Amino acid sequence: MEAWMGKILRVNLSYGDYHIEEIDPDYLRPYLGGRGLGSKILYDEVDPQVDPFSPENKLIFMTGPLTGTGAPCSSRYMVITKSPLSGTIACSNSGGFFGPELKFAGYDGIIFEGVADEPVYLWINDDEVEIRSAAEFWGKTTHETEDFIRAKIENKYLAKEIRVASIGPAGEKLSRIACVINDKNRAAGRSGVGAVMGSKKLKAIAVRGTGKIMLPDKEAFHKAVLHARDVIRAGPVTGEALPAYGTAVLVNIINEAKILPTNNWQVTYFETANKIAGETIAETILKRPKGCFACPIACGRLTEISDPQNTGMGSPKYFKGEGPEYETVELMGASCGIDNLAAITKANYLCNEMGMDTISAAATVATAMELYEKGYLPEKDLGLKANFGNADALIILTEKMGKREGIGDIMAEGGYRLAEQYGHPELFMGVKKLEAPAYDPRGVQSMGLQYATSNRGACHVRGYAIANEILGVHVKTDPLITEGKAEMVKTFQDITAVIDSSGLCLFVALATNFLYEEIQSLINAASGAGYTVDELVSIGERISNLERLFNLKAGLTKADDTLPKRLLEEPGGPKGDVCRLNEMLPEYYQLRGWDENGVPTTDKLSGLGLQ
Amino acid sequence: MIRLKIDHGKCTGCQECETACSMKHYTNEVNPKKSRIRVFEDEEEQRFFLIIAGPTTTAECTSKFDVVIAGQQYDGCTLCRSSCPARPWFTEPDTGVALKCDFCGDPPDPHCVKVCEKGALSIMEI
Repeated sequence: MEAWMGKILRVNLSYGDYHIEEIDPDYLRPYLGGRGLGSKILYDEVDPQVDPFSPENKLIFMTGPLTGTGAPCSSRYMVITKSPLSGTIACSNSGGFFGPELKFAGYDGIIFEGVADEPVYLWINDDEVEIRSAAEFWGKTTHETEDFIRAKIENKYLAKEIRVASIGPAGEKLSRIACVINDKNRAAGRSGVGAVMGSKKLKAIAVRGTGKIMLPDKEAFHKAVLHARDVIRAGPVTGEALPAYGTAVLVNIINEAKILPTNNWQVTYFETANKIAGETIAETILKRPKGCFACPIACGRLTEISDPQNTGMGSPKYFKGEGPEYETVELMGASCGIDNLAAITKANYLCNEMGMDTISAAATVATAMELYEKGYLPEKDLGLKANFGNADALIILTEKMGKREGIGDIMAEGGYRLAEQYGHPELFMGVKKLEAPAYDPRGVQSMGLQYATSNRGACHVRGYAIANEILGVHVKTDPLITEGKAEMVKTFQDITAVIDSSGLCLFVALATNFLYEEIQSLINAASGAGYTVDELVSIGERISNLERLFNLKAGLTKADDTLPKRLLEEPGGPKGDVCRLNEMLPEYYQLRGWDENGVPTTDKLSGLGLQ
Repeated sequence: MIRLKIDHGKCTGCQECETACSMKHYTNEVNPKKSRIRVFEDEEEQRFFLIIAGPTTTAECTSKFDVVIAGQQYDGCTLCRSSCPARPWFTEPDTGVALKCDFCGDPPDPHCVKVCEKGALSIMEI
């Protein structure tokens, strides 16, 4: 089978050695690659009860069959492990250029086992694989790490071609909201995968590949690629909105729908949202859009700001970087009551450099602000007055979190542990201890079910129902009703699992009618594997169930499929409603073939080959 | 004479031109390192440079010196677009064979131009 490299690099950090394994095609086929294959390996090899920071936990980097092929948006790789934040299966997705480079080096993925004695990084230059000391740059930021590794390479041409994925100080210090950063500003963000990397004392992976990805028939593949690009170009979201304004184009749309979490979700409308919207970003701080590998959309934003903390004394200081994205600008902005775009952008840059997930970091700051305003979190602990709207507090707290200084030490454990420490866990806005992204389910019911049932906790990219509920990408649905939402969420979750496994970016699904048929034609043209649509549908379902099984064995129960009290009891959103989760959850379990406790039935599992 | 015109301002650095080029020139494979067009990022200036393995001049190489632009020192050699045995750009990594843009045949039909979503590449007659 073409498209896959057929090889996985298994690195044992405890022994400091590695070997290359062939992938059995029969093992691979029902899981496709990426998220599916990585989750299957984790499920087979790691006890779900394991302490995420113990040597027994494994850290898996996995690409999909389409990664690096040049199919539109084929840049993705996944990081799979057991999450130290939520205790669930963690599986974070990132774009950029690292994933494709790993494939050009000849590997579909890397499995890290054990724990290194001293800080190390993995060097891959095609067949040359080496575990090298990272002692010289342990403690440095992700940007410094990448520059340092490049600078050490004597051959300056080779140095230009390497791609680096690394952790920053947050990951080293086992912050549960730490992420893996590749290509300086692309993040495998959620679930604290960076902390697992830090616990293994693995600072970075540097890779360069000069090899090829084989195709069965290049003319047929080229045709499939051009067709998929036409579909993406024709979609109003993927063809116009995202290229022009990036993901932050959502700010005004979501605000108009009155589901924009503001002041830690106390309100769902932000008066001055336009000051932080994608349109404003494009007019002010945007230098240039940046695309990931083979991406026709290019939603990434290369930006430049002058120092928001510089009050005009002395020469202004400039910062350059990438971002902010919608979730970042919304949660650091509206959810913290802040409309200072430069301050948000600065905090975003800090997160990238420290290696922290922007959603979790921002939500934790918002939780701290509410705890402070309600008098539960004293100023002496915080070291400052953290009112909503205080842009300086956002930057200072973000920095403290990255360094684990003062209050930052507990904040680095995530919003749930912060709120719990100060006696008010109900002020934490998230599910399964994972901070929620920026769509209030009180005005878009399906997202409530999605947050409650997603296998990694409150997450938008496990089933982006917003596409239909608000944007009307495939069909416009009424976001305020609960009828039919269980089925919709299930469908979205399953197709997302297939997209994540294929190596494509989830944004392809924001193109009108980019559904299974399109994915199927790309995968088959690239691999010659001859997947049917039914087979892909069952792959999506299989992955969802496999992840669920991991979580159940890890000790999660039906009681964890819930939402914060605020969303279930305090009216909010456009019609002053609550999220009526209880109307959707039983139906969802039933559609999934799970019993009333959310446990997959024997019939369901044997049907999916999971017995 | 046909030439490729590059509008650096429009490039978003996605490297689709590289995959398309390699796919065009080899049998059933994708390998950007064998592409006759390469994309590099200038992080400081936040922009992308497209370099094509274009025709060399008959003049002796004069670019092997350091260039200073906006206080930043560059190696002039790395910016040269000609096939050169001294550098890995535009040579096959496994064989060392030099790569040269051929505008994808006659009549010219460059695949990189076809796949460039942002219109950074176009053909021009000079």
